[in-house]
Amino acid sequence: MKPPSLGEFEELVLLTVAAQHDEAYGVSIKESLEKQLDKTINISAIHVALKRMSEKGFVDARFGGITQDRGGRRKKFYVITAFGKQMLDRQYEIRSSLYHRIPNISFG
Amino acid sequence: MNISPPKYALRFLRWFCREDFIDEIEGDLIEVFEHQYKETPRGANWTFIWQVLLHFRPDFIKSLSDHPLIYPGMLKHNLLITYRGFLRNKTSFAINLVGLSTGLACVLMIYLWVNDERSVDRFHEKDSQLYQVMNNFKTSDGIQTWDITPSLMAGAIAEEWPEVEAAVHHNNWPTGLLSNEDQAISVKGKYASANFFDVFSYKLLDGDQSQVLVSNNKIAISASLALKLFDTTKGVAGKTVEWETLGNKEILQITGVYEDPPVNATQQFDFVLNFDRVIKNDPDVKVWSDGYVETILVLKENTDIQAFNRKLGPYLQSKSIWWDDATLFTKKYSDKYLYGRYEDGKEAGGRIASVRLFSIIALFILLIACINFMNLSTAQASRKMKEIGVKKAIGARSKALVVQFLTESMLITIISTVIAIGAMVVLLPQFNVLTGKALRLTFDTNILLSLLAIILMTGLLAGSYPAFYLSRFKPLTVLKGKLNTIAGELWIRKGLVVFQFSLSLIFIVGVLVINQQMEYTQTKNLGYHRDNVLSFVRPNNATDIETFLSQIKNIPGVVNAANMTQSIMSGNDAQKGYSWRGEQVDEDILFKAPQVGFDMIETLGMEIVEGRSFSREHQDDQMKIIINETALELMQLEDPIGHILEKDVGNGRETRQIVGVVKDFHYGSIHEKVEPLVLRLRTEGQSIVAKIKAGTEKESIQQIESTFKAVHPEDAFTFTFLDDDYQKLYLSEQRTATLSKYFGAMAILISCLGLFGLAAFNTERRAKEIGIRKVLGSSVWGIVTMLSSDFIKMTLIAILIALPLSYWLATKWLDNFYYKISLDWSYFALAAALTLVIAWSTIAWQTLKAARLSPMTCLRDE
Repeated sequence: MKPPSLGEFEELVLLTVAAQHDEAYGVSIKESLEKQLDKTINISAIHVALKRMSEKGFVDARFGGITQDRGGRRKKFYVITAFGKQMLDRQYEIRSSLYHRIPNISFG
Repeated sequence: MNISPPKYALRFLRWFCREDFIDEIEGDLIEVFEHQYKETPRGANWTFIWQVLLHFRPDFIKSLSDHPLIYPGMLKHNLLITYRGFLRNKTSFAINLVGLSTGLACVLMIYLWVNDERSVDRFHEKDSQLYQVMNNFKTSDGIQTWDITPSLMAGAIAEEWPEVEAAVHHNNWPTGLLSNEDQAISVKGKYASANFFDVFSYKLLDGDQSQVLVSNNKIAISASLALKLFDTTKGVAGKTVEWETLGNKEILQITGVYEDPPVNATQQFDFVLNFDRVIKNDPDVKVWSDGYVETILVLKENTDIQAFNRKLGPYLQSKSIWWDDATLFTKKYSDKYLYGRYEDGKEAGGRIASVRLFSIIALFILLIACINFMNLSTAQASRKMKEIGVKKAIGARSKALVVQFLTESMLITIISTVIAIGAMVVLLPQFNVLTGKALRLTFDTNILLSLLAIILMTGLLAGSYPAFYLSRFKPLTVLKGKLNTIAGELWIRKGLVVFQFSLSLIFIVGVLVINQQMEYTQTKNLGYHRDNVLSFVRPNNATDIETFLSQIKNIPGVVNAANMTQSIMSGNDAQKGYSWRGEQVDEDILFKAPQVGFDMIETLGMEIVEGRSFSREHQDDQMKIIINETALELMQLEDPIGHILEKDVGNGRETRQIVGVVKDFHYGSIHEKVEPLVLRLRTEGQSIVAKIKAGTEKESIQQIESTFKAVHPEDAFTFTFLDDDYQKLYLSEQRTATLSKYFGAMAILISCLGLFGLAAFNTERRAKEIGIRKVLGSSVWGIVTMLSSDFIKMTLIAILIALPLSYWLATKWLDNFYYKISLDWSYFALAAALTLVIAWSTIAWQTLKAARLSPMTCLRDE
């Protein structure tokens, strides 16, 4: 079986989840990504990415407690799994090894 | 913070979103919303709605099978329960099935018929722009509405008025023989203007559209005629045919072959000729007071029709003083078929009345069948009590029960629809014979959608009341065995039966009245005798009519024979210009003015009231006329016989002398009343009527034919009986009458089925009561009375409600006829008695059976 793939947007979301360890949920991911990428992101896209990644086993989720905020709805916090971290590492390796293979091109 | 996102979006989200995601999604959305709300409240609302919609995707939508009410397991359970119910109550299942499938079959047939009626003449591409010019003509008694205008109009108006894109005129005058070397075919066609095929969408199969009617010696023929003449429709253009009419022969070139006009076209014609031919042969036609044709305009899109009509009104008056009494208006060409009747210059329905009538009948028949279902299922509620109680006790919500009962009604509707479609396939040919249509059942998108709509509607209608009624039961009371029959529920059931029987009674009255009126038109004394009268037409060029007639009269089986110019059934021949006091005003009055030969009065058995008939002995000529009683009354002549009238003949005045007064007779259809009439003596008419001795029809017709053939060896002898011609005038009423009989019978049958089911159920439920009553000494008769009194009461109420209604409806329908039956109380008494008898005999068998049962059998069941 082929290992599950990781799309570009999914990778960005996964990186954010890893960075905000144990404190990442939909809105926080959206805000952080918007700041990083300097563009608006649909929350639905993040929800879809999170759902797909949790199906692939890259992230785990837990529910926070019920508060008065958010219409009484619980937050769903995501953490990266070991498998997810492995995936990120591999992705990073591939990218950097490819990057290092670039000869010294001058655009003078 | 007291702000909330749009309510409906939120509700929608909660409705579709999966349970395990709703917290995350709704929470996040609200958080984003609140955040944004501080800056732009409106923007926040829109973003929220948009985001909800973005989440409406397979990832987050509840799976269908998770839905508690249509979960497969539940559906399976519902179907199983339904199936078991059907098995357990076979009678009511059969009643529902028969009732609903009959009802649905009626609905489907009527649907096809109505659809077909509505499609007539709408196939033209320019349909939305086609308007026919109509003519309101003032006469002595009110306004007559004609669809004809002078032939000069089309060309003039297309040129003068910018709103008119094109104008075409046509008429159905030409009849004759078309022949090639092999054969001669008798045909009926049209004269039309050259742009006929540009305006109407009669598809050309062969030939160049711009050249079709380009000149006088060109002809376009229909595909079926081309097949008859040349065995092909291809390459026919360019060939020649011989055209023979009114004794003239001419070679014409075929320039086009068009597809036969579709069945739903009012115009059916074998060929088209250029109208200019008429003008060439008779230059008189080219005046504003002559050349009557139908004129159809192609109006520019978005023309304001009302304004256009106002402008068009006096158009003809400005062209010729002949038209001083005429006001023009336009009517959508395709509306003419359904809304073709005019009364006193105003639109007064037409065929649309039948379309409406049958749509309503279809609806009511279906409703009656649905009521059966409602009544039987609520009546059986007591049997379902325990089931409902248990289900509710273990946590079924009433919604689930509603779905269960709707499943039941949907299922039975679907089964019924399948049966109904099967029945239709079998019955459609018969139905086509009855209606004179060529309906076919094709499963295109339209009909499938309608079918789906009908199934859904019927299922919901039939199932809704039982569903909501049954699911409302309180589990506790139900399980305790308290059958708390609410008074209201009983009333509804009774009310529904009353409604059914009211409808049945109205149907019975309707059938009686329609058929009586038809009977009346068939047997009404028309003022002449139409039985055993043969009618045929001689070729137009035939000469020596007197010799021919005397030959016919010499045939032993022929009592008498005479000629006239048009058939007596047509009722079209009319004239103005008579003056009996020498006053101008007289000349405006329009008289019916049939042109008859000698012996017509005698042959048709008309009665002379005063004076004498036309006669050869007196050497009568065109100057002699006979008037009818109505005309006499109008003229108020003391001594009519010998009175001399003046007649404006266009280029001068002539005199006419009255030689006799004939008893009023019906010239044309008896929808119209008898109008003042002048019989004109014209000996050259080619329409022959011959009275034949009863019993000698066969040999007399043979002899007449051989006489005819001896003079006209090349022409076909086709004849009709006057009686048949008369029947044809009432074809559409005849069809209404026959159809109403069938549909009325259906309605009554379905009502009775329902009543039968109720009675069966009722007696079964009261079996123990009957047993105890019998043990205590009740007589069979006493029990029958007890069981049937309820139903009889309901029927009586139905009669009380339906009588005035049916009276009103019958009066309205009869208003269509000038000569009509008077509504006798006996129809209503008969209908009421019939309803009672039908209702009683429906329940009689059940009640008698129950009443005669031995008490032992009904009491010993444990």
